[in-house]
Amino acid sequence: MTDADYFGLLGQDRRWDIDRAALERSYLERSQATHPDGFVGQDSATQRAAMERSSALNSAYRTLRDPVLRAEYLVKLGGVDLDSSDPRTGAPKPGQEFLLEMIDLRERLADGDVPAVRGEIEARADRALDAAIAALGRGEVADAARELVARRYFQRFLDEVDAIEERHP
Amino acid sequence: MSSSTIKDTGALFQIAEPTGPQAAPRAPGRGVGIDLGTTNSLVAIAPQGAAPRVLRDERGWGLVPSVVSYVGDRVVVGADALAQQGAHPDRVVSSVKRFMGRGVGDIDFTHPYRLQGEGGVLRLDVGAEDRPRPVSPVEVSAEVLRVLRARAEAELGGPVDGAVITVPAYFDDAQRQATRDAGRIAGLKVYRLLAEPTAAALAYGLDRGEHGLFAVYDLGGGTFDVSVLRLHDGVFQVLATGGDSALGGDDFDRALARHLLGLAGKAEASAREVDAARVAARALKERLSVVDAAGITVDALGLRDAQVTRAELEALIEPLAQRTIRACRAALKDAGVRATELDGVVLVGGSTRVPRIRQLVEQTFGRPPLTDIDPDEVVAHGAAIQADILSGSERPGVTLLDVVPLSLGLETMGGIVEKIIPRNATIPISARQVFTNYSEQQTGMVMHVLQGERELARDNRSLARFELKGIPRLPPSMARVEVTFQLDADALLTVTARELMTGVKQSVEVKPTHGLSAEEVDRLVIESLDHAAADYDARGVAEARVELGRVVLAIRQALAEVGHIESLLNRGDRMGIDSGLSEADAVMADPNADAAALSRARERLERISEPFAARRMQRALSAGMTGKSLEEIEAALAAEGLDARRGGHTAELIAPEDEHGE
Repeated sequence: MTDADYFGLLGQDRRWDIDRAALERSYLERSQATHPDGFVGQDSATQRAAMERSSALNSAYRTLRDPVLRAEYLVKLGGVDLDSSDPRTGAPKPGQEFLLEMIDLRERLADGDVPAVRGEIEARADRALDAAIAALGRGEVADAARELVARRYFQRFLDEVDAIEERHP
Repeated sequence: MSSSTIKDTGALFQIAEPTGPQAAPRAPGRGVGIDLGTTNSLVAIAPQGAAPRVLRDERGWGLVPSVVSYVGDRVVVGADALAQQGAHPDRVVSSVKRFMGRGVGDIDFTHPYRLQGEGGVLRLDVGAEDRPRPVSPVEVSAEVLRVLRARAEAELGGPVDGAVITVPAYFDDAQRQATRDAGRIAGLKVYRLLAEPTAAALAYGLDRGEHGLFAVYDLGGGTFDVSVLRLHDGVFQVLATGGDSALGGDDFDRALARHLLGLAGKAEASAREVDAARVAARALKERLSVVDAAGITVDALGLRDAQVTRAELEALIEPLAQRTIRACRAALKDAGVRATELDGVVLVGGSTRVPRIRQLVEQTFGRPPLTDIDPDEVVAHGAAIQADILSGSERPGVTLLDVVPLSLGLETMGGIVEKIIPRNATIPISARQVFTNYSEQQTGMVMHVLQGERELARDNRSLARFELKGIPRLPPSMARVEVTFQLDADALLTVTARELMTGVKQSVEVKPTHGLSAEEVDRLVIESLDHAAADYDARGVAEARVELGRVVLAIRQALAEVGHIESLLNRGDRMGIDSGLSEADAVMADPNADAAALSRARERLERISEPFAARRMQRALSAGMTGKSLEEIEAALAAEGLDARRGGHTAELIAPEDEHGE
């Protein structure tokens, strides 16, 4: 699926460290050529094809422009789908130790130590992403997957903190 | 959760076939841009690359009040309808945009209408007390669109090929679908639904360089939108959008109206008093945009010479204004843009004339906003430009990359929403998600499609429900159903579900729970086509009448000037012309004369008077034109002939020049 993958669609090398400016340029150029507005008045099959090409392009852009989604997508291309719970090809389950740590953090949050907990979680989410990117660079997909699963836990935690702060500003 | 119905999707496991019209030849220059507003609507054209201009009526008014009166036998739209509102507040519909795509249970604001359709399609009963006449918001909007279409056809001298209709960026799928249906019922091919802020940016961006970041603050009568856009090498990319589809200048009026009712000591006001207060409040709000304090008298409320200051008005609207500012900050954050990075802030919508709003926008974005295109007209300008491009004109076009304003998802176990397409994703876009069965007994799966940002299904808008049947009996988690959401360039959704083991597929055009069914829309479209034929006939009659009148007038003038000269007009010809004239007078006097009768009388008159005309021409040539070259004579005659023809029926169709044109 070299041509059909998101990197191929946007003419980029398949790696995490892409040239953001080149990505933007390529996306805008290709969008101009495929947007359905350029096919108004043509037969429905042509219009549908334009919509599907545009849709794929927009999905690719959304994924590749985001550092986290881009890393997760590379892991998926490597055979691990973080959105799946399949025991063989799905997201790896976090270890016992990690889950206990999360419970501990949650308790600290309940005790009202919001800013300190937030800072710590943000730093750990960043470190997990960095570790995943490094693992991808070494071609170690399983390691990258584990780090990205951890990052998702941290992210969900941060979203909850946001929600708490919105309720009690 | 709002009331909703289970939609029967018809045959099971239909394979989705591409539907829609086959290739249709386009008509360059015959596309129109329509701003279908809560308070006012406009139509603009920008044919074949021309600068956009709003089409005006004979009084020079471009704005058509979005008001539809069902009081008389005939439906009346616009200023005339508005004039009937005081006497019949429940039968003259205004601000119908607030009802678009909504169910009765969603209506949480005050209004004077009799609503019907609990649990299904909302309708307003606009009939007399003994004769109910339910109409859907879609049909009411279609009446406004019909008037705009007629205005455009008069200007273009023929049918409109298609239209770009603008919608608030924050409109959800149900509201967009309703708008598209209204366009179809009004007999318009809807090329595209375009987000209002995007249209405004398009109107500004085209004559302002190739690059830049813009924010558009759009506060209309009933809706608020904010969008952050990037213009880059001919591509307009919406980075983020936000807003509130139920917040606008009408809310300012209502807040001020409550204040007036308080001043009048009316704790329990009647519908008529509330309406009188609202009308007075709107006028007062407009005055307080200019002066610091104003006196107000409302006879219907027994209110005399009450004083209201601008500061009081600002205090009343401050909570509403702050809501818009919060949405602006959120949109900037979603776009990943800081206010200081922006190259311009565009103000759109009549409500941005309120000084406090301008002040807050300036503070929030750190720069004075751009207002050089009339905020009431800028959206229609942008829509006209896009309509011209989509009609097939050779116009250096920009590509518009718009976004979906609200996330789309499915309800899963426990009433939680699984988001499938996130908000601010560029459209068109598709996304897939795989769901599994929870037991071997499960052979069906109910899909509940939702739109919104909240975690729980019941807090989001319910768009549709359907059931996927015929899932094979498999152990838990082994049956796998892949659900695909496809959003098109109008942000309208189609959902497809496929069982992966067997490959059986089922496709649903997402018809909003509170929308008209496809059959209802088709029926209304057919009815409008009948209407269209009648409309067309009416125009044919009017034109034939004008033509005949022109010929009669020209002959009478010639008779008065030179009819006594025997060499030009002998007795026999004179009698023939006189009888032709009296026949013409008789036909003109008959109000029921059809186009054929009027044209027959004109042709007869032209034939009888032809020798008289030829002799006058001869005389003019020999007398007035001696010493001139043949070319000059021919040119002079040709110009005269053209003028005569134009004087007849085209003149009143040409709108005054757009004073805001570039």
